[in-house]
Amino acid sequence: MMHFLEPEIVATVGILATLVAAMLVRPRSTVPYWFGLVFSAAALVRALTLHQSTHLYGGVVLGDSYSIVVTVFTLLAVMAGLLLAWDPERYGAEFPALMQLAGVGAMVMGFAGNLILLFLGLELLSLPLYVLAASRRTPLGGEAGLKYLLIGAFSSGILLFGAALLYGATGSMTFVNFTAVHVVPGLMAAGLGLLLVGLLYKLAIMPFHMWVPDVYEGSPTPVTAFMAFGTKVGAAAALLRVLAFGFSLSAAWWGLMLGYLAVLTMIAGNMVALPQRDLKRLLAWSGVGNAGYVLVGIASHNVVGAQAALFYLLPYGLAILLAFTVVRILEGREEAPVTLASLKGLAYRQPWLAVGFLVAMLSLAGIPLTAGFIGKFYLVRGAIAADQWGVAVGLVVATIVGLAVYFRPVQQMFAPGEGATGRFTVGTGIVLAVAALGTLFIGIYPEPVLHAVIQSARFTWLH
Amino acid sequence: MVGFIILAVLSFASAVGVVVARTPVHSALSLIGNVVTLAVFYLLLNAEFMAAAQVIVYAGAIMVLFLFVVTLLTAGKEERERPESLAGQRALSGVLAVAAGVLLAGIAVRDSAGPLVTRFSAGYGSLSAMGRVLWGPDFDYLAVVALMLLTAALAVLVLNRRAEDPRPAAAKEDAS
Repeated sequence: MMHFLEPEIVATVGILATLVAAMLVRPRSTVPYWFGLVFSAAALVRALTLHQSTHLYGGVVLGDSYSIVVTVFTLLAVMAGLLLAWDPERYGAEFPALMQLAGVGAMVMGFAGNLILLFLGLELLSLPLYVLAASRRTPLGGEAGLKYLLIGAFSSGILLFGAALLYGATGSMTFVNFTAVHVVPGLMAAGLGLLLVGLLYKLAIMPFHMWVPDVYEGSPTPVTAFMAFGTKVGAAAALLRVLAFGFSLSAAWWGLMLGYLAVLTMIAGNMVALPQRDLKRLLAWSGVGNAGYVLVGIASHNVVGAQAALFYLLPYGLAILLAFTVVRILEGREEAPVTLASLKGLAYRQPWLAVGFLVAMLSLAGIPLTAGFIGKFYLVRGAIAADQWGVAVGLVVATIVGLAVYFRPVQQMFAPGEGATGRFTVGTGIVLAVAALGTLFIGIYPEPVLHAVIQSARFTWLH
Repeated sequence: MVGFIILAVLSFASAVGVVVARTPVHSALSLIGNVVTLAVFYLLLNAEFMAAAQVIVYAGAIMVLFLFVVTLLTAGKEERERPESLAGQRALSGVLAVAAGVLLAGIAVRDSAGPLVTRFSAGYGSLSAMGRVLWGPDFDYLAVVALMLLTAALAVLVLNRRAEDPRPAAAKEDAS
């Protein structure tokens, strides 16, 4: 019966093994990193070979193909984070264990079927990231850690309040039991609203996004890369699951609200990304905009939209990992800030790096033959199927603004001038190659990945 | 009901005191008051073990630790807050917070549908019943909380490391 949680169990055992390894070897060894990577890979393989689904503990743990997709995405993010941080002297022996802990948190959010597990998963995802965000001993690093901790704790409090109200209104913690009670007037609406606020904070949707640029800028780049992918996967997966399982009957109410937020986030996020000079801040704002795209799928409250939202996480994740890998290579060991000016002449100095960056920008902009285009295509389909034409138009407008955002770094890359030169390591090289090839593969031949994801989100709204 | 209202008022007042008090020691003492009133709430809800654990762990151990840290670090130091960069920020947020609180309280009063019927097992709230739940149907919660405590232990290790920013450059020169 526990069969279905085997990837999570492997990942948890991996954390303990990594800690024991870190204890036994000398402080500057890469052995803990190897342990983290090997166990994450083992969990990934196990997740990819799972098929049947179970509901454990009376619907509290929902092990299905949806949770497998979340687990796979999360493990990809964990492995990328580890490979980008492959420098024990710089990041310390605890880094791999903390990264894996955050990953397990996102996986818990993927299979959470009730409010308690959702909250615990959210906290397990966030706690290690608070620590990792503060692990850079600079004023910016301290600011990132403190800001993330305070705002995260605040949003957790709001989420808990919402959970308490929902329990008060329904007498149950399990999502599927919420459908029995009418949402619109009163306690349920207040509870759902507060719960949504808590989750939207994590997903960085527009009125709740203020922490993103500072935290992304101040955190070490491997941590930022994980945050941009892993955190959004966890938060979006939990959001989709809560709404689909618990509130499918009141979809018109929250679908409208989330639709407005999605349009605001997409357009404003990309607009603010436009004048940014620091590449990490630009990518942070782009991450805000992309969270808005994911929200389009969730807001459309139909199967097509849910599938599109789940699928879009992968193209977005691969592209943002790719972009942060380039930042990581260019910033070097000293972690000097990478601005648009340091991209100058990159296409002539380091053509392969430039190709990787170009693929990332094209995919984020949604150019055909990259994964980003396929993702946005399905999102628009979802919005139209829900008859939310305004949201669909908003997505197109945001994409046009996005073209300008992603064109500027590319233009700098081909401009003459002396910018920064980075050194590839094995780890960054692997992430760069895998993410770039993955983006192009999904863009050219999306069938296998798309099919797997679409199958896994099919349960939605059948309840 | 009267007991509940008295407790609620006490709990609320002490919670406000934690935030409003100017000196950290007063905040910590208010927090103890809040913890104890919560423990009485647990008692009213038939959760005897939770109440005892709350008093022993929070009021007993953690708050004493808090007080030690506060007295060692900041006793006597009156910290002046810097003027705020956004004028009127505090007043505006206060008004909005009160408005949100009134709204939520209004909804709660209007929608109170009477007591909620939930199924409690025999001996609910006792130590053995709690153990049976934690190691049975709720084992997943226990596992995740265990991982969270592990994270906290690791966090102490990471955040306590001495500042080593000026060091790498010097260390590299030593090595070469």
